[in-house]
Amino acid sequence: MESLDDVIDAMIADRVIHRHRRTWLIAIAIVVILAAVIFFTGGWMEKEGRKVPTLTAPVTLTSGRYEYNFTKAEIVRTPKTKYEAAKAVLKVYFDAKNVDGEELTSHNVEGNLLRLIPGPGKDLVESNGADCRGVLGWELVYGLPSESCFTQFEIPADFTADVIEVGVLGERYVSDPSVLGANDQPYWHSEIADAVVRLKPTVVIDDGEDK
Amino acid sequence: MKLYRPATVLVGVLFVLLGGLTRLASPDQVYGDEDNLIIVHGTIGSKLEYGDATIEVTRMKFAKSYLPSSADDDDKPIETNGVYVALEWDTVRGTQNPTILNATLEADGGTVYTPAGETTGNGVEFADAGFGETGAVVFEVTPVDLKGLTLKLRPTQFYNVLAHAIDVDLGIPSEAVAQQFVEGATDQYVIPRPVQRVAQ
Repeated sequence: MESLDDVIDAMIADRVIHRHRRTWLIAIAIVVILAAVIFFTGGWMEKEGRKVPTLTAPVTLTSGRYEYNFTKAEIVRTPKTKYEAAKAVLKVYFDAKNVDGEELTSHNVEGNLLRLIPGPGKDLVESNGADCRGVLGWELVYGLPSESCFTQFEIPADFTADVIEVGVLGERYVSDPSVLGANDQPYWHSEIADAVVRLKPTVVIDDGEDK
Repeated sequence: MKLYRPATVLVGVLFVLLGGLTRLASPDQVYGDEDNLIIVHGTIGSKLEYGDATIEVTRMKFAKSYLPSSADDDDKPIETNGVYVALEWDTVRGTQNPTILNATLEADGGTVYTPAGETTGNGVEFADAGFGETGAVVFEVTPVDLKGLTLKLRPTQFYNVLAHAIDVDLGIPSEAVAQQFVEGATDQYVIPRPVQRVAQ
């Protein structure tokens, strides 16, 4: 037969156990939710290495206000002559189309939007812009079909590569922060990397003769 | 030494008030270009005043290809997927030095065209005071958006300076008219060299 003391003890124990139960449950729930959020948003550690997709030519991609279709690459070598040292340039051919649905404005592909990736630990090489129909800095008109263009990268004369990588950067149609007193009209700027395109270059010897 | 003399405090208050005055305007009014821009409207053939200078668009020509004025005999004309619009202009400069104008074409559909690559300069130019100059600027345009084509000449503007700008209506009221212009485009347009002369 239980004594009254036992009953009271059991009641007190019951209260003590249940007193902080809700707090503990909430604390455990928060930890679980935090873990789930971190897991689904890409993990706690910062990702190492390349964060943009690597594509292999021929490939079509849209980046910023242009649509590119990368086709081929050429290493053009100019042999040493009596007066000049040997040199080489890398030409990357692509079709470009203006798809600027925000401003509908003609614009040329700027040199800093296409960059050669020489290898890990080396600085990127900016291009010289797009050369279409023999005009460097061709203004691509919104609404017209794509133009076939090429861009040039400066490379050392002894440059060789089986596969070259070109980084494609795209501008974003955003405004400067109006909190800081800037105009809140959006415009195309602040280019960021969108993709890396791999191309297999062919070697072309430029001996000064017209083809 | 007395640090807070009435004059010192007054100057401080004045600066605070001045700072507040500039903040009374919203960023739109500070940076926007509409409030302090005087726009002169005109058509092809009308002499438009730009400060004490005048600008006239003398001729509009549609072409399927163009040759830069610096082209050699063996240079091929530059072709297009769309059509080229060449505008010939004639400017006379007064005594003031006019601000450089950037030329764009705007159509009713909202497309904005900028001058094609190998034309001279980015718009109309001015000779020395008392001289006139003629030249041309070429735009690559798409045939589907030509209705209401307007040449807009805009200066590079400082926001606190009253500026003049020019709109020239190129006389394309409908798509049908635009189609006629496109069909009547010449095969080749040679950009004339800029010519300077003494103003009358």
